[in-house]
Amino acid sequence: MRPKKWLSSLGISSLLLASVLSGCSSNDASKSDKTEIVLSGWGGNPVEKKLLNEVLADFEKEHPDIDVKLNTINDQYMDVLKTRLIGGTAADVFYLDAFEAPALIETGAIEPLNKYVTDEFNVNDFEKPMIDAFKSDGELYGLPKDYSTLALFYNKKMFKEHGIAGPPKTWEELEQIAKKLTDAEKQVYGLGVMPQIERMYYLAESHGGEVITDGRASFADDKVVKAIQPIVDMRLKDKSAATPSEVGAGQSAGEMFGRGKAAMVVEGNWNIPYMEETFPDIDYGTAELPTVNGKKGTMSFTVGYAMNSESKHKKESWELIEYLTGKEGMKKWTSKGLALPTRKSVAAELGFDQDELRRPLVNGASYATVWQDGPSLPIVMNNFNNQFLSAYLGDRTLKEALEDAEKQANREIKVTE
Amino acid sequence: MFTRRERKEAGQGYLFLLPALLILGVFVIAPILYAVFLSFHKVELLGGANYEFRGLDNFLKVTFDDRAIIALKNTAIYVAVVVPAQTFLALVLAASLNAGLKGQKFFRVVYFLPTLTSSAVLTLIFMWMYNQNGLINYVLKIFHLPTYNWIGDPDVALIAIMIMNIWATAPFFMVIYLAALQDIPDSHYEAAELDGAGAVQKFWHITVPNLRPVTSFVVIMGIIGTFQLFDQSYIFSGGSGGPNNSTLTVVLLIYQYAFKTLGTMGYATAIAFMLAIIILVATLVQRKFSKEESLY
Repeated sequence: MRPKKWLSSLGISSLLLASVLSGCSSNDASKSDKTEIVLSGWGGNPVEKKLLNEVLADFEKEHPDIDVKLNTINDQYMDVLKTRLIGGTAADVFYLDAFEAPALIETGAIEPLNKYVTDEFNVNDFEKPMIDAFKSDGELYGLPKDYSTLALFYNKKMFKEHGIAGPPKTWEELEQIAKKLTDAEKQVYGLGVMPQIERMYYLAESHGGEVITDGRASFADDKVVKAIQPIVDMRLKDKSAATPSEVGAGQSAGEMFGRGKAAMVVEGNWNIPYMEETFPDIDYGTAELPTVNGKKGTMSFTVGYAMNSESKHKKESWELIEYLTGKEGMKKWTSKGLALPTRKSVAAELGFDQDELRRPLVNGASYATVWQDGPSLPIVMNNFNNQFLSAYLGDRTLKEALEDAEKQANREIKVTE
Repeated sequence: MFTRRERKEAGQGYLFLLPALLILGVFVIAPILYAVFLSFHKVELLGGANYEFRGLDNFLKVTFDDRAIIALKNTAIYVAVVVPAQTFLALVLAASLNAGLKGQKFFRVVYFLPTLTSSAVLTLIFMWMYNQNGLINYVLKIFHLPTYNWIGDPDVALIAIMIMNIWATAPFFMVIYLAALQDIPDSHYEAAELDGAGAVQKFWHITVPNLRPVTSFVVIMGIIGTFQLFDQSYIFSGGSGGPNNSTLTVVLLIYQYAFKTLGTMGYATAIAFMLAIIILVATLVQRKFSKEESLY
């Protein structure tokens, strides 16, 4: 009897064990001669998604032995990506925002691309600031798929009603126009402001100060404070500026503008299709950002394709990146004007510099400050934005807020070291 | 020492336990041990895991991390306000539903509804109501009360989350109170009535003392729950803990250090351990206080 009992208990245990373990085994049933590679990106709008699918279909047609699986991460893209990279389940090729690139490059999770790039691919065709954003020690870690700069969006109807001929050319002009266009009773403000460093980085450095020096926050510098002060003064002294959330327009300056709560906003290329879709009745124009100190300036944001350094199909992954950022792929991707092409030849071919709304954005590319400044930028951004808001709302002076934020940012940077 | 039979029986017992032990070991014990290990190291998990022993560094860093102190302060204020408020509200709701009023079954269902909604959905609905031109400001305007920029103003953002959470969790504890209320013998109330006690006196002198063990449970669960506040402030602030760090909680900070900033996984686990200790102490203190006053 006894050995039998033994056996049965062993049987039950192993059964339970087996059922647990079977959950872990992977079913690699789909065995075809095609190599499957995965591409990860964020959702974007439906038009964008459709466009990307078309480009990928074209690629698959040209490379019949490669099957591209598109995997979109809709929310908290970077957090998900990092977790997957750690777990070894990240895609072969993925979107990478230039802003987060340096920190990721430092960890070695991203494949260096120099050895893949051929002369034929012509790296020199890319806008220099955009491609430099993905470089580290001369090595290339990503190829910019597109970019956007910031420009001034202004409401033509409001301008006409107040007899203003055109968009401001200088910052001083902007301040005066904003005052004229403000109607406190109707909650209409001259300028809609996003109180974020990513929108005013160029402005912060316009008086010769630096936001980050040698990887440490340095934005409490008087030169930086002086440069940003006008933004705060517009809200607190002139009362001609406000944030979107103050007028119930969510967190988006575009929405504030579309709802007619702001006569001017500083926005990027993405705002053009958004206005078309959501607020088609608003008659607006775009202009290059007003000069500060007689100098032109704007921000530029770029996203690139990067390769997972642990990818099992590096050759195929490169072929995909090569196609997507090559002339043909990029032309198709940017043809609808959702984003601007980073290849000069493509930009010239598509003629966005002739487009009335996009010209100011394209013109900005040559003098824009790229939103990327080393691995500590995310921490600096977080602390700046957090404390800047209190100064912007008038709880304390800008200098105090920024000194506090700088101290905290540098402590946090130290924590990560 | 042991007979063969005993040993065999023990072996058999462990064999039966094996699946459970294995699962517990892999999914519960090992992660805890790994977290202990992490909290003493500087960790970079990306691009080939990299550990660097740092001793107590991670634990000491908290003292000069302003955001950690702000997070702790926010969480403490939150616990201090929300736990008493939701406990009291739950008690009052339960008592009123137990008083034999008309339609109380209907109201039990209605009051319980918020608990059934997922907290993410609830937060989104509240954010929509908290909007500058939203429902809550609209109602305040009708009564000529001041309106607030609930989501954007650092002074009121945490209060907005408090209101939301009290409203959402009180009904859950109300149900627990309701069950306990049914257990109080009617004879107590009858005796009090004979002595001429009014409704308020009966509530304070019979209902509340009789519910003390349940209150203790509710408070402890409340403390644990509120110390772990994450999802609401995460959604409310889009993951940043803003505006101006006003909705930054300890768990949100842990999340930020673990997944947002690179290379601070060890620091995040160190904070997590400290939070666990704080919750443990708070619970023990609460238990001590409730034990001192015995029921009868």
